[in-house]
Amino acid sequence: MSETLKLPPLEVAEYTLDNGLRVVLNRDMAVPVVSIAVYYDVGSRNEREDRTGFAHLFEHMMFQGSDNIPKAGHFQHIMKAGGTMNGTTSSERTNYYETLPANQLPLGLWLESDRMRSLAVTQENLDNQREAVKEEKRLRYDNQPYGQIFDLINEMVYKNFANAHSTIGSMDHLDAASVEDVQEFFRVFYAPNNAVLVISGAFDPDEAKGLVETYFGDVPSQPLPTPLDVSEPTEVANNYREWEDKLAPFPAFLLGWKIPQRRTPESHALYLAGKLLYDGDSSRLYQKLVKGEESVIQLFGFTDERRGPSSIFVGAIPKPEKDLSKIRETIMHEIHDLATHGPTPDEMQKLHNQLYNDSVRMRQSSMSRAQQIAEFALYDGDPALINKELEELLAITPDSIRKTVAEYLDTENRALLDIVPAGKG
Amino acid sequence: MPIQTTAPAPLSPVPFQIPAAFETTLPNGLRVVIFDEDRLPLVSYRLAFFSGDAHDPKEHNGLTAAMVSMMTEGTEDYSSRELAEKIERLGAGLNVSASDDFTIVSASTLSMYSADILDLIAEVVFRPTFPEQELDLYRRNTVENLKYQRSQPNFLANEQTSRLLYGSHPYATIAPKAADVEKLEREDLVSLHRSRLIPNNAVLVVVGNVDRDELLQKFEGHFADWPRGELPSVDEPNLPERSARTITIVDRPGSAQSNIVLANLGVKRTHPDYFPLLVMNQVLGAGASSRVFMNLREEKGYTYGAYTRMDMKRLAGDIEATAEVRTSVTGDSLKEFFYELNRIRDERAPNEELNDAKNYLTGVFPLRAETQEGMTGLILNQQLYGLPGDYLQSYRDNVAAVTADDVQRVACAHLHPESLAIVIVGDAGDVLPQIREYASDVEIFDTEAQPKDVSDYELSTDDADANISGTWQLSLDFQGQPVAVTLTVVQDGTSITGTLVTMLGEGEIKAGSVSGIKFSATAVTDLQGQTLELSINGKVTGDSMSGSITAPIVPDPLTFSGSRS
Repeated sequence: MSETLKLPPLEVAEYTLDNGLRVVLNRDMAVPVVSIAVYYDVGSRNEREDRTGFAHLFEHMMFQGSDNIPKAGHFQHIMKAGGTMNGTTSSERTNYYETLPANQLPLGLWLESDRMRSLAVTQENLDNQREAVKEEKRLRYDNQPYGQIFDLINEMVYKNFANAHSTIGSMDHLDAASVEDVQEFFRVFYAPNNAVLVISGAFDPDEAKGLVETYFGDVPSQPLPTPLDVSEPTEVANNYREWEDKLAPFPAFLLGWKIPQRRTPESHALYLAGKLLYDGDSSRLYQKLVKGEESVIQLFGFTDERRGPSSIFVGAIPKPEKDLSKIRETIMHEIHDLATHGPTPDEMQKLHNQLYNDSVRMRQSSMSRAQQIAEFALYDGDPALINKELEELLAITPDSIRKTVAEYLDTENRALLDIVPAGKG
Repeated sequence: MPIQTTAPAPLSPVPFQIPAAFETTLPNGLRVVIFDEDRLPLVSYRLAFFSGDAHDPKEHNGLTAAMVSMMTEGTEDYSSRELAEKIERLGAGLNVSASDDFTIVSASTLSMYSADILDLIAEVVFRPTFPEQELDLYRRNTVENLKYQRSQPNFLANEQTSRLLYGSHPYATIAPKAADVEKLEREDLVSLHRSRLIPNNAVLVVVGNVDRDELLQKFEGHFADWPRGELPSVDEPNLPERSARTITIVDRPGSAQSNIVLANLGVKRTHPDYFPLLVMNQVLGAGASSRVFMNLREEKGYTYGAYTRMDMKRLAGDIEATAEVRTSVTGDSLKEFFYELNRIRDERAPNEELNDAKNYLTGVFPLRAETQEGMTGLILNQQLYGLPGDYLQSYRDNVAAVTADDVQRVACAHLHPESLAIVIVGDAGDVLPQIREYASDVEIFDTEAQPKDVSDYELSTDDADANISGTWQLSLDFQGQPVAVTLTVVQDGTSITGTLVTMLGEGEIKAGSVSGIKFSATAVTDLQGQTLELSINGKVTGDSMSGSITAPIVPDPLTFSGSRS
């Protein structure tokens, strides 16, 4: 009874300024709101071995003012206009974004262009943000139960330094960072020809183009950074590690596999396999472990899709006194079952409906459209892929899911991180 | 072209009109609201009942929460698993939740599955079976969760604040006790389900790409046989009157931070001062460009965030100022909070500040209507609180009409700095002397909400300094496990040195001092090659010692006690 749904394509217009800034306009007049996303092609993967954490520290510096905007002014301007904003750093990219009432498009573009052109890099701002990042690390990583396990498993899955090291990085490295480091990083990576600008929502395309030219047209381009080698051997770097977590109330574990890069048929198949295994109350592992065996407090899994070698993770926090190895056996048994028999017709129907549903929901908000388009533009050089992604995922067959799970998940080539509450074992 | 040095002017404003929704009432009293929008092939349902946790029977705290959780764990036709599969196979979501005032069944799906999800809503609403085995799992998981909540300072602060403001009204209770949950029986859920889910106390909101007539026909089929029930009584709450400030501390010994809540009763959601209050709160503390944030964080650096917020329920509400600050600036933070609370009462807000606040509120409003979930929330709230029919259409005009005089008037009417409840979760011994001047009425509780003797925390400054020299055998509570610690102290005047021996190794005490019966010290120890700094605070009475150890790797202080050998 699987019905099909035809979605009208999103309007995507792409062009490049003389200075190399790639611009994508996605017009949708449904609500008088506009979102701006600026994605720079720099993430923790670009960091030097003695400057881990620098890309993220730099992201903080982008809110410390520029020629015409005082420290913290970016935020104040957006708030007063009735908007929202943020910035984030991953291994792949650093992004900055705001959503504003449609008539405030000039403000958003002006704010983004001023810091692209003229970031204020002072010793005082650097010291101040270094401390803020340390607080953030304490709050989000060091001081949280299980806060460090995702950084740890990345080091086990990946061998290449560019892929393996954490985004939050080393505080010693941040202490060693100088104002000159920040200026050099800004020059190399924050050039218009190393970025993508997406505008999504309610605007007049000619007016938007004029504003983009006005604010960004004269930001000078720079020689592009040297290409990065993110290649990996097939094998995970480390099969087993035990980690004593001082804050964890219960033992837990995390399994990680190395998988092919994003937007390959294998990556698509494993994304769908992951949904079947751990996504939602009807997923195989939820039904086996949370319900059936009642052995697990929390079950989770996700894929980390990158431009190079990528990964997929499954983790669980078992109830007190439960046998962890038995739970892992159940997980590997389900994976083996999927690798042997493939998904059922019911499961395929669920996947297809969820894909339709996700695709329609993504289209509702200008910010989610802008972010997805920016990724396709930056990673694949083709923002129009936003209109092809759904078809590609729907085309994945049950048998390709079966085969891909057999090749990449139903294997000993995986990392197991055992988390032991310190002081109890 | 020269570089623009000031913020560019906005373009001309884009009108934003929300059309009125279709409303009708079925013969059994079920109110139906349909908002037809064809932007995307999606539909959202909300079936909301006008009673919630606050209507739990007196002897059955937590019953509503249990019922809503269990409604999707098995029905006459489907097991818990089958329901999950049915819902997710549509790519849809369906859940039931409750707040103080309302019980809400929420579902969203692609519009091509609108009829299927409606069938499942009916299944969950009319035919839940509350299986014993699922209820057993719910009880065990909920008790675990309640334990976890007691480790969260926010929970502890809210527990006290609600009790102080709402007294004997059910709004005073924010969570059931483990014993309440353990004694929940299947019959209680069945009985609540029968009396609670009645059509004449409910509204059904549908937003999305739907055919109205077709939908109304469907409703006939699903809801025509649904009998009316007896409406629950809604009494005007009888709330405690506050005439003076009070201090309530939840003691977490050694806590590095104080969670501060300053609260007084506010207004219910339908109060005529709603819009002036919204603007007043925006100026005072709702956002990161509001006064208390700019003062306590940006200027003073006391905290990561400081805010004011208004909780407006159906029958009553409260206004709170909150911040998590370093323990040592707890008193200073209160001073700044009181400064801001008084300033907004005593002085008219300058025009620029007023306009920034109004621009934010009017500008951000359409952002909330961008997604169907957001739009559904706006329409549902309008229905739940019985707001005027043109509420969404006139919202921005109502905000724009607020004047500086209005802001000052509602600040005077609804902020009561002289009779606030001051609630602090933190180290009572460190906090109390800093804030003692703010109220004569003080109470202290432990994290299990058991009252403590206030005099234990009040130290006279002319107490002679204790002599704590010697060897102390202490027991440290590490996540419920006792860990033996030997503390050897050499005292010279008020300064102390010595050693600290634990199973992890030996540490050296430096920078320690004694004041009255209290002492504090820093110990440095090696843990797996890393140097670790421990901060020790305690007090000594005769040969007994108690206190806590804080380490950067542990979120909560570890308490210890023991005696001199």
